[in-house]
Amino acid sequence: MQWLEDHWQGVAALVLMGAGVWWMMPRRTEWPKAIGMILALVGAFLLASRIRAAEGPVGETILFSVFATSAITCAILMITNRNPVYSALWFALVTLSVCGLFWLQFAHFLAAATVIVYAGAIVVTFVFVIMLAQQSGATIYDQRSRQPFLATVTAFLLLGALLATLRSSTSDDFHVAAQQTPAAATNLLSRPTENTPIDADTMKGLGRSLFGDYLFAVELAGMVLLIATIGAIAIAPRRSRGTL
Amino acid sequence: MNDWLPSLIPTLITIAVVLGAILTGCMYLVLAERKVSAWMQDRIGPNRVGPMGLFQPVADGIKILLKEGVIPSHVDKWLFLIAPAISMFTTMLAFAVVPFGPVDQAPSWLRFIIAPNIDIGLVFIFAVGSLAVYGVILGGWASNNKYSALGSLRASAQVVSYEIPLGMSVLGVVLMSHTLNLEKILSLQAEGGIAHWNIWYQPLAALIFYVSSLAESNRLPFDLSECEQELVGGYHTEYGGLRMVLFFVGEYTHLVTISFLTSILFFGGWNFPWIATPESNYFGAWLVKILVLLAKVLFSIFLIMMIRWTIPRFRFDQLMELTWKVFLPLSLANVVAVMFVLQFAWPPIVLLPFSILLFALFGFFTVTAKRMELSRRRRASLVMQ
Repeated sequence: MQWLEDHWQGVAALVLMGAGVWWMMPRRTEWPKAIGMILALVGAFLLASRIRAAEGPVGETILFSVFATSAITCAILMITNRNPVYSALWFALVTLSVCGLFWLQFAHFLAAATVIVYAGAIVVTFVFVIMLAQQSGATIYDQRSRQPFLATVTAFLLLGALLATLRSSTSDDFHVAAQQTPAAATNLLSRPTENTPIDADTMKGLGRSLFGDYLFAVELAGMVLLIATIGAIAIAPRRSRGTL
Repeated sequence: MNDWLPSLIPTLITIAVVLGAILTGCMYLVLAERKVSAWMQDRIGPNRVGPMGLFQPVADGIKILLKEGVIPSHVDKWLFLIAPAISMFTTMLAFAVVPFGPVDQAPSWLRFIIAPNIDIGLVFIFAVGSLAVYGVILGGWASNNKYSALGSLRASAQVVSYEIPLGMSVLGVVLMSHTLNLEKILSLQAEGGIAHWNIWYQPLAALIFYVSSLAESNRLPFDLSECEQELVGGYHTEYGGLRMVLFFVGEYTHLVTISFLTSILFFGGWNFPWIATPESNYFGAWLVKILVLLAKVLFSIFLIMMIRWTIPRFRFDQLMELTWKVFLPLSLANVVAVMFVLQFAWPPIVLLPFSILLFALFGFFTVTAKRMELSRRRRASLVMQ
């Protein structure tokens, strides 16, 4: 209870935001969207005021705010939109905004790879499938969300748990996590070499780290992906009709 | 805050110069396309406006600007309006990391690359290029027209497939130069001179890259997404006036970008024996280097325009077979060969005969297999009769 008394503002902000999102979910009958929007905005504003902004150059702070705001806004628009094609496009914008955040953290390769894989391939496949499936307009079950209340509660519980974890761990923990820990030293799959800080903002450093320190993990992941690809090729053809 | 202000002005000037050059270039590329087409078909081509028809783009531009912007009543308005913009924006953005001159010799007020020192240069281009398909997909879907939808479906399948050999083919160059940064790839070749251009080590990769990028930009003979006989106009059937032109500016910008990339990755960029080497420091050397690079780019564009009237359009299954059954294994074999050369420190020139051998063997086997299949089919049909 002491914890709740200390953090009631954050919890209230999360509840407000969740209620707003839940209100805006697509339903059989349209509810006035303005109320949900106001609730979500108030909640988001309260939450943002409680999170201390990192100190940095003005340009970076502005860019961070732009990317973060657009990521959250597009995410809410994605789940509250009736039209599946628009939802997929908002998802692409969420991905792009998050990639902007990656770029600000000097994770250039991660940003570009995420754009290629998510925005360039996966969402294109989504749009492709939706376009093929919806030849005669969207049906009623396409236009409303199935479990709006449970989905919202679950998502915001998860968000609350994440925020609580981030708050309770100080910034020192993150520095320790990036370096050598006893658990990492004995782990066969991830063996960061001692005392060499990972030079992750250049391609060379990233490649050395992936194919040096984490070689086994990378190879294992590649193997799993290869098996999955072969499995997909084995499942997909309709042999009764003579393909493959 | 203060550390990025001094670099802001050259950046803005560079962006303005590049934007102006590309837009004017696109106007004149349309004229060049018409002139080259006319030349290939033994016609005269546009010659009414100005000397030799040189002011034709101006007349076209005025005509397009004055056209009525029609939005059909059955379209999805937002996506219909935004699709041409995406198409142009993504291709323009890719140009940000392409160096168009000797970067270290640039005057202080201008830079020969919009965003210098991007460590992941090539990956950035592929990332932005993979977004270009949205313009086509959205244009086709928003038009609410069966022909448009079919065209955009074809385009998305094609672009997503050809991205793979495109990325694979430059992997060899990246492995050999140990970097993804386009400036460094260029300067490595320039330091070695003409004998160290990547074309001598990676001729097969250059071919795969060039053809795949033609397919990426929906140029003939790969323009199945807009082929007139089957799909009216494809994804831009419902578009007219300025919005249609935005799609075309996107396509021509893509053309310019791939020509720049081919010149920089495989043909040494601004490097040319005697007149444009890293040592040449005479007055106006940077201008000569830009002109050398532009000459290579223009030659590549000219080649693309000639290909347009030389090779007929593919069928869709042939298009897919070309990427999955030919380009993908060939580029994989090429990457493996580069890995062998680097691992065992063989002289890299070994890759030249290897590439030719690989190409010849692959061609021999596929042609033989096709011949056998055809003769089997003929025999089967004879038995049927």
